Amino acid sequence: MTRVLGYRLFQALLVALTVGVLTFIMIRALPGDMAYRIAAGRYGYDMVNTDAANAVRTELGLDQGGTTALGQWFSDLVRFDLGVSVVSGEAVIDEVRHQLGHTVELALAAVLLSLLIGPPLGILAGLRPGGVIDRGLLLVSSTLRALPHFVVGLLLIIVLATGMGVLPAAGHGEPQNLILPALTLALGLAAVSSRVARDAMAGVAGSPYYAFGRTKGLSDAQVLRRHGLRNVSVPIVTYLGVQFIYLIEGVVVVETLFAWPGIGHALVHAIFARDVPVIQGTALVMGLMFVLLNALVDLACYLIDPRRQAA
Amino acid sequence: MLHTLSVLALGLMLGIGHAHAAAGDDILDIVAPFEISGTDPSTAGDLFLKMGVAETLVGADEAGKPVAALASSWELSDDGTVWRFKLRPNVTFHDGSPLTAQAVVAALTAAKGKPGILNKAPIEGISPDGNDVVIRLSEPFAPLLAFLAQNTTAILAPAAYDDKGRVTQVIGTGPYRISLLQAPQKMTVERFDGYWGEKPSIRAASYLAVGRGETRALMAESGDADFVFNLDPASRTRLSRSPKVNVLSVSIPRSVLLKINAGDPLLKDTRARQALSLAVDREGIAAAILRYPAAANQLFPPSVASWHNANVQPLAYDSAKAKALLAELGWKPEADGILAKDGQRFTLTLTTYPDRPELPLVAAVLQEQLKEVGVAITINSTNSSEIPATHQDGTLQMGLVARNFALVPDPIGTMLQDYPPQGGDWGSMNWSNAEFDQAIKHLSKVSDAAQGQPLREKAVSILQAELPVIPIAWYQQTAAVSKKLENVRLDPFERDFGLASMRWAQ
Amino acid sequence: MMTATMSSAITASEPKRLPVGRIVGFTVLALVVLFAFLTPLVWPVDPTKQSLRNVLAAPSWSEPLGYDHLGRSMLARLAAALRLSLGLAFLSVLTAAVPGALLGILAAWKGGIVDRALSVLGDVFLALPGLLLVLMLTAIAPDSPWALYVGISLVLWIEYFRLTRATTRTLITSPAVQASRLLGFGPAYIIRRHLWPEIAPMILTVAAFGAATAIMAIAALGFVSVGVRPPTPELGLMMTELLPYYEEAPHALLQPIIAVFLLVLSLNLIAGRKAQ
Repeated sequence: MTRVLGYRLFQALLVALTVGVLTFIMIRALPGDMAYRIAAGRYGYDMVNTDAANAVRTELGLDQGGTTALGQWFSDLVRFDLGVSVVSGEAVIDEVRHQLGHTVELALAAVLLSLLIGPPLGILAGLRPGGVIDRGLLLVSSTLRALPHFVVGLLLIIVLATGMGVLPAAGHGEPQNLILPALTLALGLAAVSSRVARDAMAGVAGSPYYAFGRTKGLSDAQVLRRHGLRNVSVPIVTYLGVQFIYLIEGVVVVETLFAWPGIGHALVHAIFARDVPVIQGTALVMGLMFVLLNALVDLACYLIDPRRQAA
Repeated sequence: MLHTLSVLALGLMLGIGHAHAAAGDDILDIVAPFEISGTDPSTAGDLFLKMGVAETLVGADEAGKPVAALASSWELSDDGTVWRFKLRPNVTFHDGSPLTAQAVVAALTAAKGKPGILNKAPIEGISPDGNDVVIRLSEPFAPLLAFLAQNTTAILAPAAYDDKGRVTQVIGTGPYRISLLQAPQKMTVERFDGYWGEKPSIRAASYLAVGRGETRALMAESGDADFVFNLDPASRTRLSRSPKVNVLSVSIPRSVLLKINAGDPLLKDTRARQALSLAVDREGIAAAILRYPAAANQLFPPSVASWHNANVQPLAYDSAKAKALLAELGWKPEADGILAKDGQRFTLTLTTYPDRPELPLVAAVLQEQLKEVGVAITINSTNSSEIPATHQDGTLQMGLVARNFALVPDPIGTMLQDYPPQGGDWGSMNWSNAEFDQAIKHLSKVSDAAQGQPLREKAVSILQAELPVIPIAWYQQTAAVSKKLENVRLDPFERDFGLASMRWAQ
Repeated sequence: MMTATMSSAITASEPKRLPVGRIVGFTVLALVVLFAFLTPLVWPVDPTKQSLRNVLAAPSWSEPLGYDHLGRSMLARLAAALRLSLGLAFLSVLTAAVPGALLGILAAWKGGIVDRALSVLGDVFLALPGLLLVLMLTAIAPDSPWALYVGISLVLWIEYFRLTRATTRTLITSPAVQASRLLGFGPAYIIRRHLWPEIAPMILTVAAFGAATAIMAIAALGFVSVGVRPPTPELGLMMTELLPYYEEAPHALLQPIIAVFLLVLSLNLIAGRKAQ
């Protein structure tokens, strides 16, 4: 266990290193004059001009070299200081904290929703491989997996929000605002987790101990509860780990579509505005979140299946 | 297990956001593309003004004429260099502190020290004098009133600034005070009971910055937003058929222009610029992309009455004449139809930016239209700051821009910045005309509208003849407004959403 | 999407089924590829040529797929966009697979310090979610398909590396390989004779999945306006551009969506169920 968590810690260090080096290259390679770019981000296209760019250049000391900036970033990072957004002037850590809250909210809702949709359907399908539910589920999950997030999201908006008017199309602040973006992500997650659950269930249902459970007179529900679920949940939880990548990448697109003020949205914006400290901060936090989630999955697997302690 | 999970999920979903779940349908939801880029008026002043949070010393009416705002009246010394503003009595900031001359001077001085508009006026000193604010100029400067109506000069309370002059919180005097500010996307405001003016009918409002035009339109359609600002052309067509919303539009002093480097060997001759102008089918662009009658046959639309000149020869589409003019200059088509002279081909780079989504589309159409007359265009769609940056280093050939002539409510403010003799970042480049310079210089000193009229006409007719910039289209601002809202008007100067005068339909 | 952690699932054993799915997948993919590459030959229309009279016109005999919002031929644009996506995906997969597999074999073969160093390198790229890496690269080189290509290849290669490394490690200790080595056969022979037959089917699976991933990623980036810029036809970008007209011209918006759908579906079918 310690070894596994140690490895995740090592990964976390690598994330910081990669983000740092990539942004270093970015500062070096960025086309155009940084001062102008930042001025455009701050003052907008109506007000950006040479005066504004010069004011920005003086204020931020942009004439320092990239190497100095990289060294500065790392030494600040050690002190948990992510710097200040060159556009808004706010501390990156505050911005990221605020956005991360929204993203975690969205991600949690999506995962929970997907667990409600995916595994139950998958288990149902796996109990009767080749049955109607199994085939229907295969069709639906293959379709969902072949559609980009934003297409699914748009369909949901058009059907549920503008069509039926039962849910808000976009925005945030009210609880019901969460449903559509979370559902968009959850459907993608469930498309995969339902298949994993289905395969695992089919495997378990075909196993000797499962058959024995039935022979000894347990009902379908009893045998599923006693012998099925725990064995099925290990692959599902392992898959959750894989799915977090999907989730982290999904939020970038889903947040822009639904005007959700999360970290993915912030990253895309920062890239447009060339707000390097914010790019560094958000990419770092997203990367670390990914590592943390994987560590949690390791931990969960370990708890569900104690046999893994030996491994 | 599944049961537990479902309970957990439901609980989570209902529980989340309870902090902001301020229920009640009487909150007016506003959605617009503008992000809240901070707390300082120099970066986000436009939104504080639009939402009725902050106010300026001078206001503007629908024609852009200065009207009393925080200053109830003003007078100008005979030599035109000393302005004295009388402050409106009994005005309090949202923190309860009174509006004093000292506070105004501090706010204006802070604004002058930051990028914005005030540093472009010939101001020598801003000082308090009893309950008056006195601004001394080094020379007469008529547009000062318009400058003081601009959003970067919004007056905030002394407590809004920290000791380094940075704005830490937004404390204005407007009819609404900020109840929540989550930069860059969200702001909520509530009615300020201590407001000096008429009490607004709408109790509270929220502002949400939504960058994607499609999402904005969908929010209007689904009823999530009551007031959606800035619609893309396709959504406007769709929403105008919706039973839930009214689509409003107003002609605004913003134009799509081709900014031209008149120093470029290919574009030096006025006839070359005229040929490019003749090659542009403005009606086609307006109908296909902007989808309203917007073809610009001169720089200013008729709605900007003082600067629109009905007597100039309108810019027209005549590709045969364009080809003739280019032939006159010695250009001959090569095998692929592109013109060449002395081994040099007529190829130009057109720089534009996607911040306004119609610009790259217009650029793509221009590329096709200019190809018809033998001019090859390479489009460089990049960051908006590349226009001023390449203007400065001289590498710009042509730029397609959407220029706002209402940076201050009087277009002269923009004209002074964009068309000085040495050229301006967003206007003329390597072009000057003594008569034009004279007229503009004069205009900056003449405060009487009638007296300025012949000067403006002269300036516009010179621009029309020499084409340092080629006008392409005029803009309309559009908004989708819920039918539950009454008394909504769009401000042609985009200063104000008009929140304070709206009300819910009974 | 860009998963690089699916080796465990692929190596998990399950009895082989009739590859009906794969046959369907290959057929659909072949049709899409034929459409993308034959269209310019039989329909030589410039995908950026506009005709403002035909804005959003419906499909007709003279223009089988109709026109987009600038009156450009949807047929020509769709084919061009598919070529871009297919080309980028193919290039990325190839660039990822060849070095990835070779490095995997090298690591397993040499063991020790080489193995360690290469594994650490793999971990570096595994630490960041793929789209994040690609996003950061596109920030470095905006508006260029090269950033997409490099980014996607950098994400994809690890999977081949890990897979071949794991497989090779078990294979080189097998009696057959030991015997070949004792008989004095060189690495080339052993790779061809013993390793390749085992690795090839897995690589096909990973490649198909990787290509699907790449196509989805390119479309997603196009949708958030990162990646290629207009007027270049690109599937995600076409969806963004045509989205406002979803009511006026649903046929136009549906085309790029169907194109992505068919591509990704066919690749997923080729990859097989196990590569979920």
